[in-house]
Amino acid sequence: MNQSPPSFVGRRARSLRTARRGPARYSAFDLIRRGALGTDWPRSFSQPELRGTYDAVIIGAGVHGLATAYYLAANHGMTNVAVLDKAYIGGGGSGRNTAIVRSNYLTPEGVRFYDRSVKLYENLAVDLNYNVMFSQRGHLTLAHNDSSLRTMRWRAEVNKLQGIDSEVIDPDHISRLVPYLDVSPEARYPVLGALYHPPGGTIRHDAVNWGYARAAEHLGVHIHQYTEVTAIHVESDRVTGVSTNRGDIAAPVVVNCTAGWASTVCDLAGVRLPLITHPLQAAVTEPVKMFLRAVVVSGSLHVYVSQTDRGELVFGASVDPYPSYSMRGSLEFTEELAGHVLELMPSIAKLRVLRQWAGLCDMTPDYSPIMGVTPIDGFLLDVGWGTYGYKAGPVAGEAMAELVATGKTPEIISAFDLARFAEGRLVGEKGAAAVGH
Amino acid sequence: MIRIPCPHCSARNSAEFRHVGEAAARPDPSTVTPEQWRVYLYERSNPAGWITETWFHTMGCRRFITVERHTVTNEIRSVRPAGSSGPEPAEALSGRADAGSPDAGGQA
Amino acid sequence: MTGAASRRLPAQAGELVDRSRPLAFRWDGRSYVGLEGDTIVSALLACGVDVFSRSFKYSRSRGVLSASFVDPGCTVQVDDEPNVRGAHRRLAAGMDVRPQNVWPSLRFDVKTANGLVGRFLTAGFYYKTFIKPQRLWPAYQQVLSRFASGGVTSRQNAHGYYDKRYVHVDVVVAGAGPAGLAAAVAAADTGAGVLLVEEEYELGGHLRFSGEESLSTLSELRAQVAARPSIEVMTDAVVTGRYDDNWVAVLQRNVGGAIERLVKVRAGVLVAAPGLIERPYVFAGNDLPGVMLSTAVRRLVNLYAVKPGERAVVLTANADGDAAVADLTRVGVNVVRVLDGRAGETIRRATGRGRLQAVELEDGTVLPTDLLVTATGWTAPTSLINMAGDRPVWNPTAARFVPSGDGLPPTVLATGGLVGDGSTDELIAHGRAAGTLAGDRAQGRAGGGVPDLACEPHPGMFRASTHGFVDFSEDVSSKDVVAAAKEGYDSSELVKRFTTATMGPSQGKLETINTIAVLSEATGRAIEDLGTTVWRPPYAPISLGALAGRIFEPTRVSPMQGWHEGHGGVPLLAGQWIRPDHYGDAAQEARNVRENVGIIDVTPLGKLELSGPDVPRLLNLVYVNKWSKLAVGSVRYGVMCAEDGVVMDDGVTGRLDEDRYLMSTTSSGAATVWEWLENWLQTAHSDWRVHVTPVTTAYASINVAGPKSRELMQRVVEGVELSTEAFGYMQVRQGRIAGVDDCVMWRIGFTGELSYEMHVPASYGLHVWEALLQAGEDLGIRAFGVEAQRILRLEKGHLIVAQDTDGLTRAHSAGLGGMVKLDKDDFAGKPELAWHERYGLATAPRLVALQPVDATAVPPEASQIISSNGDILGRVTSSRMSPTLGHGVCLAQVDPAVAAAGTVVTIRLPGGGDIRATVQEDLAFVDPEGVRLRA
Repeated sequence: MNQSPPSFVGRRARSLRTARRGPARYSAFDLIRRGALGTDWPRSFSQPELRGTYDAVIIGAGVHGLATAYYLAANHGMTNVAVLDKAYIGGGGSGRNTAIVRSNYLTPEGVRFYDRSVKLYENLAVDLNYNVMFSQRGHLTLAHNDSSLRTMRWRAEVNKLQGIDSEVIDPDHISRLVPYLDVSPEARYPVLGALYHPPGGTIRHDAVNWGYARAAEHLGVHIHQYTEVTAIHVESDRVTGVSTNRGDIAAPVVVNCTAGWASTVCDLAGVRLPLITHPLQAAVTEPVKMFLRAVVVSGSLHVYVSQTDRGELVFGASVDPYPSYSMRGSLEFTEELAGHVLELMPSIAKLRVLRQWAGLCDMTPDYSPIMGVTPIDGFLLDVGWGTYGYKAGPVAGEAMAELVATGKTPEIISAFDLARFAEGRLVGEKGAAAVGH
Repeated sequence: MIRIPCPHCSARNSAEFRHVGEAAARPDPSTVTPEQWRVYLYERSNPAGWITETWFHTMGCRRFITVERHTVTNEIRSVRPAGSSGPEPAEALSGRADAGSPDAGGQA
Repeated sequence: MTGAASRRLPAQAGELVDRSRPLAFRWDGRSYVGLEGDTIVSALLACGVDVFSRSFKYSRSRGVLSASFVDPGCTVQVDDEPNVRGAHRRLAAGMDVRPQNVWPSLRFDVKTANGLVGRFLTAGFYYKTFIKPQRLWPAYQQVLSRFASGGVTSRQNAHGYYDKRYVHVDVVVAGAGPAGLAAAVAAADTGAGVLLVEEEYELGGHLRFSGEESLSTLSELRAQVAARPSIEVMTDAVVTGRYDDNWVAVLQRNVGGAIERLVKVRAGVLVAAPGLIERPYVFAGNDLPGVMLSTAVRRLVNLYAVKPGERAVVLTANADGDAAVADLTRVGVNVVRVLDGRAGETIRRATGRGRLQAVELEDGTVLPTDLLVTATGWTAPTSLINMAGDRPVWNPTAARFVPSGDGLPPTVLATGGLVGDGSTDELIAHGRAAGTLAGDRAQGRAGGGVPDLACEPHPGMFRASTHGFVDFSEDVSSKDVVAAAKEGYDSSELVKRFTTATMGPSQGKLETINTIAVLSEATGRAIEDLGTTVWRPPYAPISLGALAGRIFEPTRVSPMQGWHEGHGGVPLLAGQWIRPDHYGDAAQEARNVRENVGIIDVTPLGKLELSGPDVPRLLNLVYVNKWSKLAVGSVRYGVMCAEDGVVMDDGVTGRLDEDRYLMSTTSSGAATVWEWLENWLQTAHSDWRVHVTPVTTAYASINVAGPKSRELMQRVVEGVELSTEAFGYMQVRQGRIAGVDDCVMWRIGFTGELSYEMHVPASYGLHVWEALLQAGEDLGIRAFGVEAQRILRLEKGHLIVAQDTDGLTRAHSAGLGGMVKLDKDDFAGKPELAWHERYGLATAPRLVALQPVDATAVPPEASQIISSNGDILGRVTSSRMSPTLGHGVCLAQVDPAVAAAGTVVTIRLPGGGDIRATVQEDLAFVDPEGVRLRA
């Protein structure tokens, strides 16, 4: 039955009024002022009381759920909204990804979609008054054979036609951008060229999660952590609310914004999905002095690497070869990863892996998400994000907010509808998402 | 590195196998509707729990096997050759780490 | 080095240093001398150096804290290796050791200025600023990244040699303290094979520095281990992770011949005996050089004969702290004050400029001192058992987390300090019981129980009345944790992410408990409710080199590769295969095929032998066309689609005998198709009588093509009539070629010329190749490579799967709609293809041939075909200059609206600009009727 929630939840309930008075402005001036006076910063997020009814319930307080809530409030004035998460804010995929942002996809609809996200990310720090540290340091996807090079050119051409900065560059140019990369023809998988995307880069994912949460709360949205949905109520093919471990909520709209749990949540509403959940692992090394500016991806070698401002190298590869809900991680992941990374950059063999972790990815048959309506009225989806969900947070939130507020599916996400599978209308993104970053 | 208790080769590292997918009955192509066919092609139950799935022993006996595995703990409770009936309990096939070595009996 | 600055003590019982072997080395640009057996840090301390680094954010001087692997202030650069743990790494002669993260020097670092503005640079300060103006963020970032700590790496560094080892063993014991040693011995005595892994260079754990009696016990235990050959010992090695099914990773550092070795163990039973890690105390000045833990003192004095200071204040709350006092007194340190944590005594703060100069007590007393020792508690490193599923519980009486025992599989046991406290004998007894149980279980016996090991009460001392560092590597203070909690980052996960506490090189071993304790204070929630953050592997850092080992990337070559290399063949990497792309002039090679005869090595072609009476049923099932009436000696082209109707592979299949067929697939599809066939046979049609044998590498495959190829073949083939009537197009024969029996040859037409493709038993491949070249010399024979073949097939409009098709292309969109025989009962992809034919053709893309209007234009592959308003209508999939015709030839996937013959389309060139091209009637530019093929 209902589990008792952690004792802190509900203890510091704040009224709607109080929530609207925060948050304080963040700026260098305020930093200095508070530092000098020794005054505390006000809370970024509180623990409100759970209401018995909301205009919309969003399941999942990751970047998608939080962005949806924020845009509902900011763009549509809908503030009687609850975001529910069974753990802490940004504890799922949103806290485990390697935070790569780019828009150099293969299909025109994919490019339009992710480019909107990049544009939103570019202004996000100012919009949310929270430094999300978007570092547009350049993104390289290496090609090691002519088939791959052809695909890179395909992507570059589609990108250029949409006004996205993307081009295929040769090994000399690659070497100037990434001096540590082995571009010699003697390599086992020689680099023949790369898709270079200057506006791509990395972002501080925790900051994006917290920034959206803080801003959404400020506008009146309720974020309920440690609140797990245990049932979704449907009557005559229409959603009427949810049950949680803290009580029941009546709501005409329920949005599934989970990753890793999309199927299990949809099971509660009796909706079946074309998803398979696989772990996606990542690892980080000890810090060293900065030597890698760009984000480097190799599809053939199934690996991507970037260096954080703290000097750590962050690595990822493809999803685990069999589906699982385990986030325990495996040794073979780091072994294969290390092998491929050293094939790309042989001189960094002495760098040490400090930590590895995993998140869960919901993989769809066409490497594209599932967004929009379901056969259950009012039960909406923003799932199936595979290995490419974080970069889409803002645009997904903006589009889902529009859908919730207006009842109409925005054109920008129309290709990602659930019905496409039954109708045999899959999206053609397989080429771009090969290693998913 | 989990081990798959292959019915022919005993417990072997999962890296020797290829995961094929959730076991599903192929509908009769002559009578199936497009929607039903696409349910077969794309829909998955994807449970956080026990699943019946097919693995292929790529670097071993090269047989397809049907496995019951728990997707959270990766525990395996039965295996049988795919296309056959009657599951075999996994413990009978796990056993010692060196069960698959050349000098152990039962090598396929 | 001797003299006033020397801190070396006279000989200590159990010391590791060898005074007869001095070692010269360099530190921070100067020469020093240490002793064999010293660590880098103990050698420097003995020489009077006690500052080794500057901290990450505030650039505070740091010295020894724990004198162990995880000591946060002792990370140094050694030669080309960054982030060396100086308090663990043994000194070697000639080492060039340098401080990290200092600018311009260790003595004077400009980043100390950050300390002055520390109150403004609280944890997470960067989230609150650098927001505007946005365009300056990249510049801010450059500055922030200068603060990045860590050593340096260089492009010139060699990869180095690392290797791996597999071990299958009954019992792995992680940790060789008293309990671990006893466990290893006991397990061996049950008949089990044992691997004993110890992080330090010698066995013993804390027994090494705990006094004469301990040394004597240690000596006995060591002898017992040495007397049992079934115990393999690894020192300077650490168990870094326990993964599913007791897959255990061990990093072995000090292994001859390799820089490091990753040992992968499938352990019957894992016994975790890591001991306890001493926890720092939180107070103002707790990071000053001169402030250290009791275990640091005991190690320095007893193992390395180093005097840690002259005047000491000791805060002790346990027996080990008391023992440290005794050690200090014994070696002549003036212990001016001992405060007893068990009696509620504590200190207020430590003060000093760049190092410890005084300790201030709660009553205001100021004690000048150069050494402050704290012994305020222990942390259980529960990593390995966490990874095995245990969720530790907080024991408030003992003030530490202990294993709960729940969730552990029977194959993982814990012993020693990790579990509880006791005298050395009690720890040994517990270890012995655990080891016996481990050995029994690993050999399939039930085994007896393990007695309890209770925890002794310990005061819960985490923070004094002042604020200090909770994470030394990340420069996070308890004040930061309190502020974060107040701002709403008040769960253990959120506070960790916001402040970055526990995210440094020791990954929480010294930091987690203090962080949680301060969070507990700040939120009013008990430690047991807060829990800890998840311990993730690896337990100790592993180099990329060790993880990668010797990187094996096999390549595949045909038996003729040596010939290709010797004759100017430029290599092309195609999957795992290396094949010749061309021999200097692909266009000329192609022309020669059309005019004379060419020879190409096509060994990578996938080949499967199918035998049995039910082969036609299988062929009908996997190909879209019909195969029941394929006569003996005939060959047919087939296309395979997946169950969604998307083109999967193509090739030809010939019937050699009544029940024997040879199927060819694309090179990259060989493995996939083999598995596909086996899938159908094993899971859906186990009653069909078909055997599949992969023969891709059993045969060397050679293709001779061109108008003179029959003439050539007549000179080398025996036993087969080669006239057009006897051996026509799409026919297969078997016979002797160049004296080699059991060759298969068929007439197919990828290049569009009269050609014979031969499959020769592989060991004779080179012989037949050379025989053909010799026999055809006067016919103008020349080898041609993959590039020439691509040109030739493109001139003939023959598609390449996965180049002219993609992940969504159904048969009809590849010009193969006519092959799909929907009146067959069932075949892979039939339902989708049927619906596609009925409903999808109007909108599905089409494969067309394009000829650029400008004869010299050759648009690059993947160039987009666009409409007048810039919409994408398709793309060029194949494109070459045709040496036969003298103009560009292309294949393209286009929208059906522009697929009609004669349509003029616009191609956007990647370099800029547009060209026009005309859609052709036929896919083939050369000989569309196929007259030459059928010669």
